[in-house]
Amino acid sequence: MKNLFYLSFIFILFACQNKETQSTINSIENPFFQEWNTPFDVPPFNLIKDEHYMPAFEKGMKENIDEIDIIVNNKEKPTFENTIEALERSGKLLTKVQRVFSNLASSNTNPKLQELQRELSPLLSAHYDKISLNEGLFQRVDKIWEEKNNSNLTDEQKKLLDDTRKQFVRSGALLNKEQKEQITSINSKISELTTKFGQNLLAETNGFELILEKKDLDGLSESVIAAAAEAASQKMNKAETEEEKNKYKEKYLFTPHRTSMYPFLTESSRRDLREILYKSYIMRGDNNNETDNKTITAQIAKLRAERANLMGYESHAHFVLEERMLKSPEEVYDLLIKLWEPALDRAKKEVIDMQEVVDAEGKDFKIAAWDWWQYSEKVRKEKYDLDESLIKPYLSLDNALQGVFNTTNKLWGIKFTEIYDVDMYHPDARIWKVEDEDGSHLGIFIGDYFVRSNKRGGAWMSSFKGQSNLDGRERPVVVNVCNFPAPVSDSPSLLSFENLITLFHEFGHAMHGILTNVTYGSMSGTSGPRDFTEFPAQILEHWASEPEVLKTFAIHHETGETIPDDLINKLLNASKFNQGFINTEYLAASLLDMDWHTISYNDDLKDANKFEIESMEKYGLINEIAPRYRSTYFAHIFSGGYSSGYYSYVHSAVLDSDGFEAFKETGNVFDKDLANKLRTHVYEKGSTEEAMDLYVKFRGKKPMIEPLLRVRGLDK
Amino acid sequence: MNIFNITLINILLFFCFNSYSHNPENFIISEIEQGILTFENEQIQEEYNSALKRLRIRRLKAMPMHKKFFIFTKSGFEHILPKGLDHILFVLGLFFSCIKFRSLLIHITAFTAAHSITLILAGQGLIQIPPYIVEPLIALSIVWIAVENFLFNYPNKWRPLLIFVFGLLHGLGFASVLNYYGLPKENFISLLLAFNIGVEIGQLTVLIIAFLIVNIILRTNSKNKKIRIPISVLISLIGTYWFIERVYPLL
Repeated sequence: MKNLFYLSFIFILFACQNKETQSTINSIENPFFQEWNTPFDVPPFNLIKDEHYMPAFEKGMKENIDEIDIIVNNKEKPTFENTIEALERSGKLLTKVQRVFSNLASSNTNPKLQELQRELSPLLSAHYDKISLNEGLFQRVDKIWEEKNNSNLTDEQKKLLDDTRKQFVRSGALLNKEQKEQITSINSKISELTTKFGQNLLAETNGFELILEKKDLDGLSESVIAAAAEAASQKMNKAETEEEKNKYKEKYLFTPHRTSMYPFLTESSRRDLREILYKSYIMRGDNNNETDNKTITAQIAKLRAERANLMGYESHAHFVLEERMLKSPEEVYDLLIKLWEPALDRAKKEVIDMQEVVDAEGKDFKIAAWDWWQYSEKVRKEKYDLDESLIKPYLSLDNALQGVFNTTNKLWGIKFTEIYDVDMYHPDARIWKVEDEDGSHLGIFIGDYFVRSNKRGGAWMSSFKGQSNLDGRERPVVVNVCNFPAPVSDSPSLLSFENLITLFHEFGHAMHGILTNVTYGSMSGTSGPRDFTEFPAQILEHWASEPEVLKTFAIHHETGETIPDDLINKLLNASKFNQGFINTEYLAASLLDMDWHTISYNDDLKDANKFEIESMEKYGLINEIAPRYRSTYFAHIFSGGYSSGYYSYVHSAVLDSDGFEAFKETGNVFDKDLANKLRTHVYEKGSTEEAMDLYVKFRGKKPMIEPLLRVRGLDK
Repeated sequence: MNIFNITLINILLFFCFNSYSHNPENFIISEIEQGILTFENEQIQEEYNSALKRLRIRRLKAMPMHKKFFIFTKSGFEHILPKGLDHILFVLGLFFSCIKFRSLLIHITAFTAAHSITLILAGQGLIQIPPYIVEPLIALSIVWIAVENFLFNYPNKWRPLLIFVFGLLHGLGFASVLNYYGLPKENFISLLLAFNIGVEIGQLTVLIIAFLIVNIILRTNSKNKKIRIPISVLISLIGTYWFIERVYPLL
């Protein structure tokens, strides 16, 4: 019996083991305070816990301030080494934690990180203010700058010195006390107004609803109807009163959100309803109610002009553009106007094409703005018909990655090897080591491609570690994050053509971050002006759609067949569709942006509508097209960071088309000599030289707009 | 939604106005390309598990064949010892039911053959039976074998057939484990074989341990009613408990 007792004991022990006991993680030391003995300095993701961030940020900021104090209180004469280089070496811990945090808070977040982000944002901006407004520090920098020409600094050092000083000056270091106070007061007014602008816009976008009955759904496809029914039923479930519930019961809801509006405008055959929905969209912020943005818009523009004037600039645009690749409003206008004519001409032709369809249908009306989506779609079906679903099977993620790796390998001889024994922050994050042609280590590339619920939407590039040669050769750790569809069960993840372009685009940013080779970390990789940093990303897109390259990797995942020429032609042809409209609405918004930000500080407060109408009349915008954003909902420039910068999208497009044209001209899209120039003058240089100089060194001349016109089909 | 919008705008503003040159370079380029976060907690775990499976498959793909074979053998073994308690109990049930070594051999062979068949069929996706049906049935099969042990002295001649049927069920159980881990398409058959070999080694180990405990430590044999009956009762009780647990998972 005793034996039996033991035996049953063993049994029960076994049975209990079934329920896994989770060992509690005891508090390990904060990994941010230790050396990372990880391969290639990839952060030790398995050791970093949410509770490690805050202490690391606090200590990092304190250390940074202490380091700045030491620099400022240094009794020795200010030199490049004891000031600029010392600054460059400061804030190591803060940088370390900030890189990991800001990356994961976007790509693999949780409520705790979200909370931390809200907590940290004011702390960090106060911290950086403390440094950029430090007068003692500026005095030292200014001293070195004054003696710049008598020193034996390298060009890279001179540029760093200039940039550093410029940042202080742009923060108001040269102003007197009274002026500084004025700037602070203007800044806080602007910040209040931009926040209000954003809130109003949100309220206006959510404030309009087009609630339809079954009889109003003519022309709509099943999926659009289903989405509208779902939107209404969600509203109904949230409604609190019976009356409100009835409002949405068995109804169909459309709103001025683009994802709801565009399908309706494209498909609905009810012209009256299209007009209502379209107008609700373009009248946002212009309804003379309490969420009207007209006055706010004009006030923001005027305050910005005043601030620029105090800083000694002619206008806000002059202030902003000083730091860009295009240096003055004149250069920007020159570019925009050159593109404007061909775009507008094409748009007018598109109106004629659409009017023909209307007349052929026997209808009696003139094309209006709310007809554009519907009739351009009819033209598209006729002239450019392309079924996107036919392309996807050729574009599995693995094939696409192979395509982009091969492209960069052919251009620069670099090699990617996937590694598996490094702990990542998520199992979908993949990691490659990148080697140069001679086998030396260039950096680490992390690709995190699939959509998931704790990842921000969109696609971006970032880095976990920067590049620097200041204290030995340090190579970067770079990441691409995208939101491609995750694979369903056993089939591979299949990309749309748009996804493929995004993959190449972000990979171009990643190359900029990986090939970079400069002395000072703050000038490395993607640190240049925004209207230039898109160039290395966008030029890579051209290889993706080059038939010769596409055919090397677009292999059907089931049949193993290469993508047929006929499909490629259709695909490339489709990219020329509706370009008149797309470019005109975009350029109109860019011009509007420039007009708002070149006003003078002593101009009267504008009437926003009058200002906009006069501006658009001046350029001859046609009635059938509204600017991509009208003033009262132009969030990019009135609540985001794109003021007098909306042009930069097209500027980068001019650069990448012209840059790729250089390869076409050689007759070989992998021309070794040109690829080397692109690498040494663009991808390696970071912001160590003026952006335009870098471009010209690669291209041999300044960019022309003609290649872009050809790419977009605006040349005829 | 609202709060995320505002956060996003704040981050944007932060990056735009933060104009100190030694502020670490813009970590995240083209902020504007980032969309709004929709945070759906309940999905995260599910997504994580599928991602884990993809990671395993990627890692396997990159391994040399002998390493893959070893890993699958090892994982087959582990799914008996220590993770496959229900299979252990079933095998023990067989052990205590057989008087002769020969009949034990026949029973074990029937069990093995049967679970190999369903493992292969299910592994290739040819049959699919959801776990909420298979798992309770596996528990019942354990109960049945044990009950037979203490109700009937001598197993009847249909027993090998019954064990074969039960073996089919257990194979489906292994398949769901294997499916969770993921099998690379390229080496499907050989890795399935490796997994099965692991399972057999695990089973044999269980039998050997049981034999050693009963015959060497307790100095008796599996025929001894003093051991056989209480253990069979215990096995059937545990089996019953699992059955209830698997039918009503929320109890």
